[in-house]
Amino acid sequence: MTYPKATLQEYGFKDYSKLKKVYSVLSKILVALIIFALYLPILVILIQSINSSTDLAVFDKFTLKWYVEIFKHDTLTDVILNTLLVSFCATVISTVAGTFIAVGINALPTKKRQRLILLNNIPLLNADIVTGLGIMLVFSLLLPIFPYIFGFPVLLIAHVFFTLPYVVLSVLPKLKEVDPNIMDAAADLGVKPYKALVKIVVPAVKAGIFSGMLLAFTMSVDDFIISYFTTGNGFDNLSIWIYGSIGRKSLTPAVYAFSTLLTLFTLVSLLISNALQKKGHRRKRI
Amino acid sequence: MNKKTFKHLSTPYLVWLYVLAVVPVVIMFALMFIRTEGVTIDEETSFTLSNFAILVEQSTIVAFYNSFKFGILTTLICIVLGYFVAYRIYKSHFGNKFLILTILILPMWSNMLLRTEALGNIMEPNNIISNLLSRIGIDISVNIKGTDFAVLAGLVFNYMPFMILPIYTALEKIDPSVEEAALDLGVTEVRKFWKVVYPLSSKGIITGSIMVFLPSLSGFAIPEILGKGNIFMLGNLIQQKFVQMEYYYGAILAIIILILILGSLVIISRVDKEAETLL
Repeated sequence: MTYPKATLQEYGFKDYSKLKKVYSVLSKILVALIIFALYLPILVILIQSINSSTDLAVFDKFTLKWYVEIFKHDTLTDVILNTLLVSFCATVISTVAGTFIAVGINALPTKKRQRLILLNNIPLLNADIVTGLGIMLVFSLLLPIFPYIFGFPVLLIAHVFFTLPYVVLSVLPKLKEVDPNIMDAAADLGVKPYKALVKIVVPAVKAGIFSGMLLAFTMSVDDFIISYFTTGNGFDNLSIWIYGSIGRKSLTPAVYAFSTLLTLFTLVSLLISNALQKKGHRRKRI
Repeated sequence: MNKKTFKHLSTPYLVWLYVLAVVPVVIMFALMFIRTEGVTIDEETSFTLSNFAILVEQSTIVAFYNSFKFGILTTLICIVLGYFVAYRIYKSHFGNKFLILTILILPMWSNMLLRTEALGNIMEPNNIISNLLSRIGIDISVNIKGTDFAVLAGLVFNYMPFMILPIYTALEKIDPSVEEAALDLGVTEVRKFWKVVYPLSSKGIITGSIMVFLPSLSGFAIPEILGKGNIFMLGNLIQQKFVQMEYYYGAILAIIILILILGSLVIISRVDKEAETLL
């Protein structure tokens, strides 16, 4: 007597391969759609930057005149320079200060360190509007002594305030990876602590410093709400100026051209740094 | 040499944080109880509780309702879509995941207001995209600018990267052998996800939710541009009262937002003591 052979299904095997295929196709479509939606505004900005008509709803013909206009427009050039000035200064200050602060935090005992990290998270998590309002309130107390403090000085302080935590948080994990023995080795060889810090620890964590610097600059350039509350005396950065222009319905397409240039610049520099990294890896392997 | 040599390097930062993060709260707290214009204090300034009457004003209640509605909806949609994207990148076989991630956050590098304005332009019935498409024979027109949907879409796509990044960081930290172990023990893919991967990445979801919820609740540019002034949120109210120099109004609302933020700080300090997923 022969028994029928049990099939896989009878053992409880369920064939999901078809379902998996459907899922994989659907998920690819969804991811593509989300990425498309993220890029849609960038695409519109690109199209508008090469549109010769000032009417935002009609595409007339291809032009590059708005790219020339960036340098000719009387206020746009100023606000771009203001933005770059504030962001550049804020980034330099918070990168240098943030690195040393991170070294300090790393040297604290665990309890104290965690408490300081908690405080450090405040500017990061705090709603921009509360940070902006808060800094504005602190410095308006100083107004009777320094009547012209709003504008560049307070804007710079505010930008340093909210970019510092990014540098600190980028450097800290790299500091933890540094072998504590190398500092002892430096001391054995007769190097003073602070010289050892600059010559040994800083180079060891330079990847963290660099990514913190990039983050700080990005956040600073793109900031609107905190700048809106802390500026004054006619000192506008790009975001505040764009906000004003949108309100007045007088946004020049030159801004779109500037934004497109910036996006292209970031994309190209990213691709280059990526290619360089790959090259570096290959060399290391050999 | 002891690394404790450097511990005083963090002391100035503590002072700095106290001056710029704690002192403002004290000032706001004081402003809640006095009625002044700006922060000038003179003889007429007196202690009052009448400021709190603004909390029952119609505009405040509407602003609170809108802020929470949009904040919660944005966060939920971002969790679902953001988790999905982060998970797909984590599971993908591309050699350079860092590059994909950067491409995903690249739109963040261009100005937020400009992106919102561009998005607003194509939400109008006559726009540049429909103009270009009509030339090749496709006629579509949408007219959603000024609606709830427009604001929601603007918030979701503006803050989505803030959700994707922490979730991806959390996923990346999962030891792949844990997943293999789960499969060896005979669970299905779906159960493996719910019982192993999802709990291990929940840290990222919490961080991401806070990073999305707070700004979408308190921002004022997106509802103003995409809502055409129809949708009034907490941020709009604070900004309006700031322009009118009624700082006490902003102070009360800011304190309420601050309580929410303190709550999130507590959550963050519980789940992520060293703030590893915040970047």
